[in-house]
This record gives sequence, C-alpha cells and structure tokens, in this order.
Amino acid sequence: MNPADNPGRAAILERIRAGLTVPAPAAAAPADVAYSAMFEPATNPLERFQLEAKANLMECLLSHDSTGSAQQLAQVLASLPPGEIFVQDHPSLRRLIDLAQVKRAVRWSSQGAPSEASQATVTLVEAVIAQTGSIFVTAACGGRGASVVAPCHIAVATVSQLVPDLQTALGDATRKGILAQNSFACVISGSSRTADIEKILVQGAHGPRRLVVILEGAA
Amino acid sequence: MSTPRPTRPPEAASHPTGTHAAQSGGTPAQRFLRDAAVKSADLAHRETIRFNMESYHAAHQRGRTRIKDWEAARRRCQEIKREAVNHLDKYLLQFEENVTARGGHVFWAENSEQACAYICDLAQRNGVKTVVKSKSMVSEEIELAAALGKLGIKAWETDLGEYIVQLRNEPPYHIVTPAMHLSRKQIGDLFRKELEPGVSDDPVELMAAARRKLRQAFFAAEMGVSGANFIVADVGAVAISTNEGNGRLSTSVPRIHVAVTGIEKVIPRLEDLAVLWPVLATSGTGQGITTYSTLIGGPKRAGEADGPKEFHVVLVDNGRSRLLANAEEREVLHCIRCGACLNICPVYRHIGGHAYGTIYPGPIGSVLTPHLLGKDFDHLSSASSLCGACTSVCPVRIDLHHHLLHNRRDFVQARDTKLSERLFFRLFRAVMLRPWLYSLGGGLARRGLRILYGMGLAGSVFDPMRAWTRDRSPVPLPKKSFRAQWKKEGRA
Repeated sequence: MNPADNPGRAAILERIRAGLTVPAPAAAAPADVAYSAMFEPATNPLERFQLEAKANLMECLLSHDSTGSAQQLAQVLASLPPGEIFVQDHPSLRRLIDLAQVKRAVRWSSQGAPSEASQATVTLVEAVIAQTGSIFVTAACGGRGASVVAPCHIAVATVSQLVPDLQTALGDATRKGILAQNSFACVISGSSRTADIEKILVQGAHGPRRLVVILEGAA
Repeated sequence: MSTPRPTRPPEAASHPTGTHAAQSGGTPAQRFLRDAAVKSADLAHRETIRFNMESYHAAHQRGRTRIKDWEAARRRCQEIKREAVNHLDKYLLQFEENVTARGGHVFWAENSEQACAYICDLAQRNGVKTVVKSKSMVSEEIELAAALGKLGIKAWETDLGEYIVQLRNEPPYHIVTPAMHLSRKQIGDLFRKELEPGVSDDPVELMAAARRKLRQAFFAAEMGVSGANFIVADVGAVAISTNEGNGRLSTSVPRIHVAVTGIEKVIPRLEDLAVLWPVLATSGTGQGITTYSTLIGGPKRAGEADGPKEFHVVLVDNGRSRLLANAEEREVLHCIRCGACLNICPVYRHIGGHAYGTIYPGPIGSVLTPHLLGKDFDHLSSASSLCGACTSVCPVRIDLHHHLLHNRRDFVQARDTKLSERLFFRLFRAVMLRPWLYSLGGGLARRGLRILYGMGLAGSVFDPMRAWTRDRSPVPLPKKSFRAQWKKEGRA
C-alpha cells in the first residue's frame, strides 16, 4: 500500500516506538517450562485421539486399509439423505470413491467450491492431533468451504499422520511452510456447535452437524 | 524505576466510540449509577446471570483439570504476550510484510473513523450490498455496522448470540456470550416475530431458524468481516477461534474478506498458539480447544478451490498506543478477550453487561475503557470491590485489580477534587495514623449510629451511612470494637 494512502501507519509506528522507550516493569525470567509439563503428553496417540475425538462429539472410524476405509465411507454416505457430495480432487480419494462404489453425483474440488446443496464433503487432512482430538486441514484439502459448507464432513486420514500434540502440529506447519503454500489452515475439533441459548449445546450451528474421521492403518 | 504518569486523552471523547448509543440521559457516570441500581435490584436478571455463570464456572473448572499445569500455562501465555507487546513495532511489521507478500493488504487505522472509512470505501468500490460479520469486539468498538448502514449496506451479525442482540437492536451483553441475559422464551418470542412464526422455544429449532436465514446471507454477501483473536507475525496470518462455523463461512464464501483487529493482538510465532489456543478456550468457555481454530494468511491462491479474491487486515490503534506508553499499565494490552474476568466479577454478576455502557464491560473494560475513551469513563475504575478475583483467573496474569487502583490514583491526581473531599481524606489520614483517635472515632460512631437506628432514622438524611442504608438494611452494630474483641480473645 502506498504510504500516502495510509498516513496512519507512520503515526502509529511512531507512537509505538516512542511508548516503548520506557521499559515495562521488570518481570520474572521466563520459566522455560516444557510443553509436556503444561499439557499431559499423549503416550498412546491413537488411544488419546479416540478419547478426545469422542469428547469433541466427533465420529472416529478405524480401518486397516483402503478397502476398509471404502466400506466405512460407503456406510456413512448410506446414512445421509440423497444428493450430491463434494470430494477433494486427489488420486487417493478418487480411488476411494471408486472402491466405495459411490452412486451419488460427485463434485470434485478441481471444479470449484462445494455447492450449498452438498450432502457431504470428503477430504484428506494435513495431520491428526491426539492431544486435542483434532484434524488439521489446509486449503489444499479441498479448499476452505470443504470442511464447513455441508452438513457432514468426512475426513480421511492415516495413522501415520497422527501427531501427539498441538505444538508438534504447528511446529511441523512452520517448518514445512504450510501457511506460505496455503491461504488457509484450520484445526478442527468436532462438529459445528453453539451454546449461546441458555448454555444448551446445539450441534450443527452454521457448519457440519457431523464430523467423521476415517483413520486408516490402525492395527 | 520511576513510575511514568499515564498520558490521558486530551479531553473527553467528543465521539465516544464503543459506547452504547441506546443509553441516554445524563453523563456516562450518572447513567452507570442509574442502570446499575436498576439491574442489581432486578432479581430475575440476577437469576439469569447466576445460572449462566454457574454453568460457565463448572465448565471452566472441568477444562482446567485437562491442563496438567494451569499456572505454568498461564505464565507461558503471559510471557508470549509480554514479548509481543514490548516489541509491538517489530512484530506488526513482520506480520504486514508476510501478508502483503501473499497479496493481502494491511491498513493501519489511528481511530474508528479511519478504520470505518477504509472498509466503507472498499465496500463502495466493490459494489458491496451485503456484509456478513463474524463476532468481533473491535468492529463493535469502531461501530462498523452503523457506518456501513449509513451507506445502505446491510451488515448481518452471524454469530448466534450477536444475531440475537442485533435483532433486538442491543449491544452485546458479554464479550464471549452476547445474548447471555436472555432466556430461550425471550429468544423464541423474538424469532417468532422476526424470523419464523411457527418456531418453538427449543434451542435446536431456534438455531435451525437462524441457520436457514443466515445461510442466505452467507451466500449473498460480497464481503465478510471478521475479527482476529491473534495475528501471527512469523507466518503472517490472522487466527480466528469460533465454534459455530460462522467465522469460517464469513471468511470463505464472500469475495472480499476484511479482518478488523487491535494492534495489540499480535503474537510472535505460530507455535505460540499451541499454548494460547487451549488456554483461551478453557478460560472462555471451558472447552479444551475451540471447534474451529482458523488461520488465514491471504486471498485465495492459484489452484485453491475457493476463498476470497481480496484479503484486507485493518489494524486499529484507537488509543492503544497511548496505553502502551503507560509502562505501569502496559500489560493491559496483553488481554486475549476471554471474558473470564467478567464471569467471576461480583460487580458484573450483579449489574450485568449493559449497565457499564461500554463495549468492554467487567474488570478489563473498567481498566481499559477510561484509557480508550477518556475521563468521562473514569468512574468505571471505581466499579470494583477490588477483591482480586479477576486477577486470579486472568489467563495472561494481568494484575487487573491493581490497575483499577492505579487508574483511581491517576484520575484523582489529574483532576480538581472538591474541597470537602480533600478535607475529608486529610481527616481520614490523620485518624488512620493515630490508633487512639481511630478507636475513639469508632466508639463514637457505633454509639451514635445505634441511637440513630434506634430512632428509626436509618437511611434518612440524618444518617451518615445513607448511601448504603437508603436501599439496604443497616448492618448490625457490634457492642465492642474488633480491637476490643481481639484483646479479649487474645487473653482467653
């Protein structure tokens, strides 16, 4: 932005720099506490993820291989009302859709954003986080709307994508330059919800009512 | 180290942004006293707040047990925010560089007018007719919806609580749960009138009705406006925490996304969120982590399936850099707006969110607002019992109740006090420095008040305790002073 279009920038920076010439009162030295001392480490990431995902009202389905994942996917889709589904355009998901013998109309992410009428979206994930029972998705996982527009989001992941905690997931994201490659990323921890009316939990506020994670490679 | 005196706004804000336009009559202090008196006597209102606060408290306690060492996590959050705020220029510039490198725009607004003018101009240039907003206290502070409304642009609040209070033409009642003061029956009545005549009072049905209505808005809007819980310097992204998914839709579907946030929201590193996200969620709602912890670093990139074509971040100062210059109270800028201090505050629990007459209520609002809006709001720093509960729960360990005291000290020193007030405090000081005089005064006061109350004059113009006793029963007067009782107990 041309500085002439934003004169406030220089004024604000000047005020900040002038203000910071007076140091804040001294503070105790940083405690340097390990992450595992603050947050219970996940000694068994798969078990921890299943536990936390259940607490987050997520459905976690385990499968041994892609055939098992296809069966799980077919069962979930069979439970949904008729209508189009949106699928991240990725070779592994094209194979999975074939294996699951999906009869519905499929809109692929290469064709653009999911339609508002989509009954479900099927995507991959960047990582699965045991500590918080979360999936980590980016724009590469079918785009921004893929995990929020439809009433059901089905995320397909592998056990090898499990990381123990948020620190590992975000550290990996920094090292891999995930935010430099994607305009969007999100740690999703359950289905959309609200408790704005008398603190009563309602699932499916503006986003999916169901979040299903098919975790492949579980022994 | 000498304590620098705070720099105050030169005069009371002539355009008091962030205040409730709906309130009228008298000064902000007079309105506060009037509204607080009404609300604290409204037992139904207090019962609603009690119910909500107890639900929150139980969830918060459960949430804290999920964190192995809560105090260590708080200290880490404090350190992160301290580092960010004390190197604010460095991290803001790093954030700006990263966002602009990916095709985003960063606008620095000195005040509400500049922020609104930028967003309104952007909307007009792009032919925007409808805006969807996810919850953003800074957008409330700058009164963005009103500014857009003047141009004929409809701004839909999409967070359920915000949507409810928007339909009632009210400001948010609480910074996390804006419709906390309303029952499902009240919301049902509102929705039957404004949305669907047949909807019941069931929260599931009420949410579904709002979802149906707002889905139309999401897909019709040309611009989405969000706030930011954090802005992350090293990756150049805004971090938005929401549960409903409205923040996701507002920042995914419209062709323009504008994130409006305060300059103090910056944090140095993406990895800092590994502590800040769980601590914010635990303090805000008792959750382990918010459902959608979203990071947005720019407009839709080539090859991405969807996303806005334009991404703008508006960094709002609005008095924050003035507070930064006050080294003693600088840590107030560490606030992550979790609302925990509101929830535990006995004053907030009695008078509720609207009585404060400001966008930021409760202890953090009482510390912050006078700095942002000027001396018309000095009285808020006295709206506290100084019990320290707010400080004990603050997830970034802001010493809130001492900052309320700092404000009181500074405000008294900065203004002309009445002669009677000065004389009274001189007398008070003299008495407090002389134990015998204190003892004599206490004895005379006890005897005098007992006679007065015996004559049925409690709360009358003759009662020196009238400020308390005109609305309450007089406190039973002990026969002996505390010191006398202590001596007796000690001998025993």
